[in-house]
Amino acid sequence: MTAAQPADAPPQTRRTVLLVGRPNAGKTSLLMHLTGSLQRPVNFPGSSVECVESDVTEGGTALCIVDLPGLVSLQPNSRDEELALAVLQGRTRGRPDLLCAVLDAGKLAVELAFLRQLRTLGVPIVVALTKVDVATAEGYPVDVARLQQALGLPLVVVDGRTGAGAAELRRALAALPLVAPAPEAAAGAAPVAATPTRSIARSTTDRLDRVLLHPLLGPALLVAVVIGMFQLVFAVADPFIGWIEVVQGWVGDGVAAIVPAGAVQSFLVDGVVNGVGSSLVFVPQIALLIAFVTIVESTGYMARAVFLLDRPLRKVGLSGKSFVPMTASFACAIPGIVAARILGDERDRLATITTAPLMSCSARLPVYVVLLAAFFPPHQAGLLLFLLYALGIVTAVAVALVLRRSVLRGGGSLLVMELPAYQRPRLRLVLVHTWFAVKAFLRTAGTVILVATIVVWALGYFPRPAAIAAEFDTARAAVVAGAEGDEERARLDAAEAAAYLEQSWLANIGRAVQPVFAPAGFDWRMTVGVLAAFPARELVVPTLGTLYSLGEVEASADEPDARLSTALRAAKGPDGRPTLDSLTALAVMVFFALCSQCAGTLAAIRRETNSWRWPVFTFSYMTALAWLAAVAIFQIGRWLGYGA
Amino acid sequence: MLGVDGDDALAHRLVACGFWAGAVVERLQRAPFGDPLLFRVHGFRLALRGDEAARVRVVGAT
Repeated sequence: MTAAQPADAPPQTRRTVLLVGRPNAGKTSLLMHLTGSLQRPVNFPGSSVECVESDVTEGGTALCIVDLPGLVSLQPNSRDEELALAVLQGRTRGRPDLLCAVLDAGKLAVELAFLRQLRTLGVPIVVALTKVDVATAEGYPVDVARLQQALGLPLVVVDGRTGAGAAELRRALAALPLVAPAPEAAAGAAPVAATPTRSIARSTTDRLDRVLLHPLLGPALLVAVVIGMFQLVFAVADPFIGWIEVVQGWVGDGVAAIVPAGAVQSFLVDGVVNGVGSSLVFVPQIALLIAFVTIVESTGYMARAVFLLDRPLRKVGLSGKSFVPMTASFACAIPGIVAARILGDERDRLATITTAPLMSCSARLPVYVVLLAAFFPPHQAGLLLFLLYALGIVTAVAVALVLRRSVLRGGGSLLVMELPAYQRPRLRLVLVHTWFAVKAFLRTAGTVILVATIVVWALGYFPRPAAIAAEFDTARAAVVAGAEGDEERARLDAAEAAAYLEQSWLANIGRAVQPVFAPAGFDWRMTVGVLAAFPARELVVPTLGTLYSLGEVEASADEPDARLSTALRAAKGPDGRPTLDSLTALAVMVFFALCSQCAGTLAAIRRETNSWRWPVFTFSYMTALAWLAAVAIFQIGRWLGYGA
Repeated sequence: MLGVDGDDALAHRLVACGFWAGAVVERLQRAPFGDPLLFRVHGFRLALRGDEAARVRVVGAT
């Protein structure tokens, strides 16, 4: 940890260290242990940096450690590898001072061949040997002393799980004289490592693979894992959501008690508290989903899923590897689109990028959760949630199929993929991933969502015609004083709020656009919610919260912590009939499942494809599909006699 | 095994993954639909599609 370093010794020299190694060699965990800091451990589109870097000071030397995307050789086979290679050869950010070759002890033979290539770069190298314990369990123990002797390079054994060896490695990186190693010294190294003791007994991983990759059991278990994930996310998050809502109710009541009634109180309670509160409610689900995906990935099961799905995904014109960006897109399409770089073939990559946003991301989850809780019994909600996710997947497959048969015909990327030994998930990695996802969500909730909520609140609050106030004041004056009149007064308050909302700018905008969504059964409030969600889906729930709570003073006065779900169910049109029912809710959810409502995703597609064609195409086809599907559901549902 | 056919990206990739002359390759499993295939080479598991695996020339296959 950096805290152990004396703070009074200013760094005299600065070294750029590149962490080089195969995908899955343990570079990222190593970086965390080396610097003691919580760096986001995936490649995320930063400003110009495509790799994670982190600074640490060791004995007066400042180390800038850069985690490169995985490489298996100096011949790039995908965009990801091209980027890593450009950095490695000093083409993008200046020549590196030092390489830290992260070698997996379980594949020494190929790792040493790669190391031989790295030595030709003429940059000093420190070797970090990882997963020695895994290699031993697999029947390939490593004689570290002999290996180091043969290599003639500084070598440190590190454990990505516990962080053992990280301090020693840091010292080695800071102390190594910056002299290029002699390339020929590696000549004798390979034979040493190529003679491991081979145990005949099957390892645990082999036995697990017998079951998990079984022709029948394998796919069945994969489906079970995916369904289990959604059930878990729905069930476990529920009590947490309840607590957050209770707190939100307290805060709203507290503010209402302090601030006198009027525009300021409405702004704080209906705008700020309600808006931010309704998005905070979804933190538990987002956290659980990310944690689950990270656990699956760090056990080694993700590679098995790719293996199982390669053939079916190839049939639709994708690759088994598309499963990785697609799964990442369940959390957020932006890292998913970036992750599509692992696909070597450009047509595979484009087909994956344009269909990945159809995976239901964590920002869609709030919409589903609110509407499912409002209009469906719990035992149906879990299944419907699964079906909504399935809808995204099926649509993605269909679109990919069409694309690969038309504009993106031909080609295909390689598979050649390692299936790592099974490992217990690393709690630390899970926590870091989850924390970063939650932080990103909170940052959006705290800025964009708050501003947008206030705008929506203002549009819904103003103008307040004096005629309405006068009319209701007269009516109130006629009500008898004391407790007997309370009920009547509350009814009048609600009616007044509803009358104001009907007059608001927001209502006018909603009513103007509503004909477009009328065939899908959306009322004007839902129409506004849909419109507000185009910059970012996160906006819809706070918007709906503001819209439906503004008109429902009665409900929120009776139960301060009334959920948005209750308000949605209670929403009534001018004719007094409910404007939303389970059929409309389904149409809304399907619309959100398919629609492209995220400026960030489109920006990511623009960046990753380097053209406007693909973001425009993705936005158009998704929005058109979403509208058609929502209309189809509503119309067919009505025809079958569902709904009002 | 004897070597890898061809001199394209796939061939380079296979060599980088340890498919070179003299290496011992063991076939472990098939995916449910017959493809891809799972191999063990130098002690680690590698999944190859049928057409990718066809590029690897072997002797003494069992």
